[in-house]
Amino acid sequence: MTDRARLLGRVLPLVLVVALAAAWPLEAPSWLRLATPDAGAAVSMRTALDGLPEDPIVLVGFDPDIGTYAEIRPTVRGLLADLLARDTRLAFVSLTPEGRALAIAELARLRRGEANLARLVDLGFVPGAEAGLVDLARGLAPTTPDGALARTLADEGMAAVDGVAVIGGNDLGPRSWVEQVRPRVDEIPFVAVTPTILLPEVQPYVTGGQLAAVLATPRDGAAYRDGLDLGNLSRLAEERGPSTVPILLGLLAAIAVLGQALGARVLGKVRAARGRDPA
Amino acid sequence: MSGLLGTSTADLVATWVAAIVTLIVLGGLLGERRVFAWSQHLLAGLATGYLALIVIAEVIGPRLVQPLMADPAGRPDLWLGVALAATAAGAPWLPRPLAAVPASVAIGALAAFALGGAVIGTLLPQIDAAIVRPGGSPAATVGGAVAAVITGLVLVGFLHGVPRGRALTAAAGAGRWLLLGGLGGWLGFLLLSRLTLLVDRIGFLVGDWLGMAG
Repeated sequence: MTDRARLLGRVLPLVLVVALAAAWPLEAPSWLRLATPDAGAAVSMRTALDGLPEDPIVLVGFDPDIGTYAEIRPTVRGLLADLLARDTRLAFVSLTPEGRALAIAELARLRRGEANLARLVDLGFVPGAEAGLVDLARGLAPTTPDGALARTLADEGMAAVDGVAVIGGNDLGPRSWVEQVRPRVDEIPFVAVTPTILLPEVQPYVTGGQLAAVLATPRDGAAYRDGLDLGNLSRLAEERGPSTVPILLGLLAAIAVLGQALGARVLGKVRAARGRDPA
Repeated sequence: MSGLLGTSTADLVATWVAAIVTLIVLGGLLGERRVFAWSQHLLAGLATGYLALIVIAEVIGPRLVQPLMADPAGRPDLWLGVALAATAAGAPWLPRPLAAVPASVAIGALAAFALGGAVIGTLLPQIDAAIVRPGGSPAATVGGAVAAVITGLVLVGFLHGVPRGRALTAAAGAGRWLLLGGLGGWLGFLLLSRLTLLVDRIGFLVGDWLGMAG
């Protein structure tokens, strides 16, 4: 590697990071808005939540991945705020240590936002992966059995649950819930929020009716957030969604790097072909 | 802004620590390797400590020790689990047939749950959903047919070392290109996720740490 290439290798990432930081506060123009005109996924989510009974209990399987949580975080917070605005009681459970860490952080945020704590219960971390999910379907064990909600869940288990919301991204996401829990419980709606990378995995479950609704792309998430009416619980939602201008800049940089690599290969082949020409 | 931290003194300290470590990791991108390696060791240590804490505070304590202390004779299942864990810990000094029991039980149970769930929860319902029914929309029928053709071609693309004619070779080639196309789309999703993470970290530095929220 030449000195110039080494210098470029160090300076260009710095330039990219500075450019992204400069672009982060910029307001996105209308053509860069995330909310998709096709709000089918957002409408499905709203329809599934509208179908919940009065004063429902929703089990939140909270197992996102730290690497992709930034992508779904605004939508997850919007969904939690929406559920609370619908007078839903939420029971949080995690089956991965990573998910548990993020669940603890989000529960702390809800407490700081003065959410009604009587409507929240922490079921903690359940070990055992798939076996843990099967165990959940057989019974729920709140970490602190205080309060009416915790007692209801401890006494009735999954029979008390009116819906399941899976926050995916980790190994034990919507697929595992559909495979292990859904066949073992009554007909209750399962909804999910996942990063885009899981879209090919979860889409068949939506089409097959095993998941009532999934928000799996930033655009679906933005369309869902656009339609929220949270009233005074809007403080629990995220103030701003992902900044689209720096994401566009990053994508262009990635395309440029990919194009440069391809261009160098094409140029090399052209030069080699010229070298072989008996001029 | 992530909003994961509040405004208390502890949260303020946590914000500063997170900002400094984020800068160190970004420094690794710019070629600063020594401090970056230190931050990786820090992450590994913290993750190990966190895992130990979760296991002790949320598994061993409430799910093993407390039930056993409350009713030692009433939970033979937990004693069996303790015996299996002790056998696994003593595996280097035990005869192989005995030492293999805990791992066999763990692997067998995991495979049984995963396989059973995949068949009952995914395979059968998905086959059922893929069957074209009278009265379905033409778009769904065409979509199902296209999916079946693509699945077939990709499966044919995995045929190796099998004698095949011109048609099968062409189908395998098409299957491999379709597989590559799928992988390309998946990598595109991954790029978007990672870019969002990078922009979020930069947003954390600019918004949460420097307080320059737009």
